[in-house]
Amino acid sequence: MYQFKPVSDRVAYLRERYRTSPVILDSEHARLMTEAYQKYAHDVAIIKRAKTLYYVCEHRTLRVEDKELIVGNLGLNYRGTSISPDYGMGWLIDELDTGLFDQRDTQLEHMELSEEDRKIFREIYPFWEQNSASTFVDKAIPSVFSDVLAGGVLSYRDKGNADMPTGHFNANYKKLINRGLASIRQEAQEKLDGLMGHIGPNDPGRFFFYQAIITCCDAVILLAKRYAKACYEKAETAEEPRKSELLMMAESLDRIMENPCQTFHDAVQACYLYQIVLALDGSLHGISFGRFDQYCYPFLKADLESGRITEDEAQETVDCFFLKISEMFKGRSHFVSMGGGGYTSGQQMSLGGVDAAGNDASNPLSYMMLQASARLKLHTPPLSLRIHKNTPRELWEAATACTSQVGGIPTFQNDDVIIPMMVKAGYSLEDARDYCIIGCVEPAGSGNDFPACGGPHAKCYINMANCLIVALNDGVNPINGIQSGPHTGKLSEMTDFPQVLEAFKRQVEFYMDWKISLTNMMEFITRNIMPLPVLSMTLDGCMESGLDCTSGGAKYNSCGSASVGTGTVGNSLAAIKWAVFDEKICTAKEFYDAWMAGWKGHEELRQMLIHKAPHYGNGEDAVDELASWAMDVYAQKYNAGQCLRGRMKAGLFSVSGHIPMGKSTMATPDGRLGGTPLSDGISPSQATDKHGPIPILQGAAKLKQSHDYNGTLLNMKFHPKSVEGQEGIDKLIRLVQTYFDEGGMHIQYNVVGSDTLRDAQKHPEKYRDLVIRIAGFSAYFVELYKELQDDLISRTDQQ
Amino acid sequence: MEDREIIGHLYDIQGYSVHDGPGIRTTVYLKGCPLKCLWCHSPESQTFTDELAYMKLRCVGVEDCGACLRVCQHQAIALCEPEKSVLDDTVYLTKIRVLRDRCTQCMDCAKACNAEALFCDGYDMTVGEVFARVMKDKLFFGEDGGVTISGGEAMSQPEFTYALAKMCKEAGISVCLDTTGYCSFELLEKMIPVTDLFLYDLKHMDSAKHKSFTGVPNELILENARRLAAAGGKLQVRVPVIPKLNGGMENIRATAAFCKELGDAVTLVQVLPYHRMGIAKYERLDLPYRLVNVDPPEDEYMNARLQVMLDAGLKAQLH
Repeated sequence: MYQFKPVSDRVAYLRERYRTSPVILDSEHARLMTEAYQKYAHDVAIIKRAKTLYYVCEHRTLRVEDKELIVGNLGLNYRGTSISPDYGMGWLIDELDTGLFDQRDTQLEHMELSEEDRKIFREIYPFWEQNSASTFVDKAIPSVFSDVLAGGVLSYRDKGNADMPTGHFNANYKKLINRGLASIRQEAQEKLDGLMGHIGPNDPGRFFFYQAIITCCDAVILLAKRYAKACYEKAETAEEPRKSELLMMAESLDRIMENPCQTFHDAVQACYLYQIVLALDGSLHGISFGRFDQYCYPFLKADLESGRITEDEAQETVDCFFLKISEMFKGRSHFVSMGGGGYTSGQQMSLGGVDAAGNDASNPLSYMMLQASARLKLHTPPLSLRIHKNTPRELWEAATACTSQVGGIPTFQNDDVIIPMMVKAGYSLEDARDYCIIGCVEPAGSGNDFPACGGPHAKCYINMANCLIVALNDGVNPINGIQSGPHTGKLSEMTDFPQVLEAFKRQVEFYMDWKISLTNMMEFITRNIMPLPVLSMTLDGCMESGLDCTSGGAKYNSCGSASVGTGTVGNSLAAIKWAVFDEKICTAKEFYDAWMAGWKGHEELRQMLIHKAPHYGNGEDAVDELASWAMDVYAQKYNAGQCLRGRMKAGLFSVSGHIPMGKSTMATPDGRLGGTPLSDGISPSQATDKHGPIPILQGAAKLKQSHDYNGTLLNMKFHPKSVEGQEGIDKLIRLVQTYFDEGGMHIQYNVVGSDTLRDAQKHPEKYRDLVIRIAGFSAYFVELYKELQDDLISRTDQQ
Repeated sequence: MEDREIIGHLYDIQGYSVHDGPGIRTTVYLKGCPLKCLWCHSPESQTFTDELAYMKLRCVGVEDCGACLRVCQHQAIALCEPEKSVLDDTVYLTKIRVLRDRCTQCMDCAKACNAEALFCDGYDMTVGEVFARVMKDKLFFGEDGGVTISGGEAMSQPEFTYALAKMCKEAGISVCLDTTGYCSFELLEKMIPVTDLFLYDLKHMDSAKHKSFTGVPNELILENARRLAAAGGKLQVRVPVIPKLNGGMENIRATAAFCKELGDAVTLVQVLPYHRMGIAKYERLDLPYRLVNVDPPEDEYMNARLQVMLDAGLKAQLH
């Protein structure tokens, strides 16, 4: 069996500190943003954003922690955090007013916040109430389209619609570490010089873009040099061997960012610092590292070959880097925490996969990443292992051993489905082979793509259960009685099953037209106020075109969405077909009335639907095909849409949104009670999978996953007994391999029994380090809110 | 009658069965067993006839349902004291219990119970139907996986078992037969050409003790093992280890010596720790769980037993 090495004393110390320190929110970043926005109020947007970044990098407080090798911080304190008022901070003030902020415990991303900082947040709020991105979006979207939104299908709200920055991209770390920003700055300067006196009708935007790039390069270089200075200062009073370490770190920081990296340590530090800047400029919303084992390995290889470092030292660097990523968290609203949770940040890393020629690309760094996660039991960074026909057996085993200990780290992605799918979506074969995973499960180009997999500002979710509810209620969601969608009749009046399907299809198409419309509105508004020059400076295509990535400058462009409720909808359609039209257990009217009563007084019928009707993921072809049909109606319609920059992408996953969405969704025809969770990703509905993992995988493989450009997510839970020993691991690998042979795109699983999770609810102190995969991310089980914990427990243990 | 039309009496079919032979397997559980082992974790596997089972957790209470009360013609359903609902502790549910002395196992209540709280353990399937079900999983079997025919005692339904094994074998699917060995040798011998591996239980080497723990003596079982080995059958021996009953070192050493005697025919010895996961199934049938004074063994205890097998030169593993 694959073995994990012990950790160094330093790493053990840093890890313990991480797991025992609270998250502390402070107002410094928000205050600096306010000062900068006021100072640069009259600059064009992209210049304002670049200068603001420079101002922040110039003035923010830097920290160098004891014993650490990689530096970078988001707040004033250890595990400190900040918020992005420029996107919207109404949530914070609301939560402070209502007391909700202080009611959050560690299970809902609790943050400490001093009285002084509260005061400052309140002082700056009136400015942001007028000037944040949400202010602009909220004004334009919900009021005009409120009837459409009343269906509960699309995820826009009354306010705070742009609180979550766009995120969900992979910056070009490879370019950053190999070229350095001085070279990019020079390129921008040359472009600018060329435009001087020749600014034609299409050029003003480019002119400002290159100006902004120069400022961003300067900002990032400045920040690195400030960290170098902080390390030099610490070294003055430090004792050996720490003194030499600090001097080495300082020398590196002084040089990197501006210049090409020379060592593995340089490269790792540069990637991390760039990540900090991206997080300061926007948020930590699915900003993904991409193929870390590919772009950093040449540096590691050179260091090992020259004898500059040992393998153990390299592992320690990776360990420290992973710990620094774990520490990163940005304050966000209660609402967003409910849909995510567990202090997750979606800083995905990919490993393995194939190279440009299609050969296996794994290398010793791929294993070091797994070693770091498994030994440190880290819920983040999330890792995605790219599997292909020639993935080495040892990597399979290392990954299986890792995820058995740290739930869902890594997840498994299928190159053989994803690469052809990306080629179909317009990527060159070489770029498709270089894809990486973003956020949760979303495939995208590496360093050349603005994929907006999380939709514009996290507005990616589609509640398919509500779509069905509206479809069978003549376009009305009974929760509010508003005519939201087209008139498609009531279930009670439908006389055959094709009418049910037709009604669903019409509503899906109606809402997807609106989803596309709102996405375009949203992108139009935000690209004019929230460009991302600090990302654009490395993304392939932007420098060449002189266009910011939010305006379509990147080589590849798209905008993603995520449909929630595959199992719920599949089972609901199957239940209606079975009870009303096939078995004729009741009339359409009787079924409809019982359902509209929320099943109250109709428990016998409800139980029949739960236990006797066929369900998705149980080897019943007809139901699996209904689920497949329903999700493909969505995928086909959505994929045919266009965003401002390129194509739309359908996806089937829910992060943990199936819980808050379920809370606001009335009872469904599958017998689900109102307010309870929807099904997650493409997994069967909770506890309806009665026949083990094989029919689940077969059902999932029947979905037309190659149409789900934004990814699919299958979440499973295995009882530890089923994975015991080398034999257990072999069988699990075989299971996943077969699913992938059959067209599965992604799978993730936990190896933990419900009995253990129940015990962890009762004795959280005993399970501090239990990492579990939720839907789109992993977290410490004890740091999840109760409903989420219950949802995990309710999943079937595969034995 | 054609082979595929032979009817078997089953109580379960389980896919992704990872403890019943090599690789990923689909296990077919046949109902009925001549043995009555004290530690049996599948009490529903023992009788050859259908049995009414009741899972109280699933019962939604007579307030919202009561279908069983309406259909039972034997007054065999009684009411329990109301208890708090697990979903909503402001709601009290009156669940039911089965009066076993009145119940005729007519299954009217099981048919009426939509919540599947009352259900029938046992159903018929033809060889052809079971084969079709197994074939659904074929892609997952790989090179070493396949079907395991288990029980109960599969050899108590020999025509069905043989026909199913033959059909699977002809379709290129590996076949394991999980057996107590308590049947006439001719039946086992006939299975050899259609069986890749016999999962063969050895429960005690002392016949009197064997009889007191399982209800039958062991001579036939041991003799069949010898003859099976001599006739070319491959055996994966399974030794359930139950402290106080058969876990003594003397018995384990005797078991090891016996396995050794069978020579190359034994491909692996599995030393299986006693567990109590079957208790809930006894409650469902209102049967007493008889092994109340035995605790599942510690790792150390099991490792010592495993070591005996290894020291005897046998290939052996826990689980």
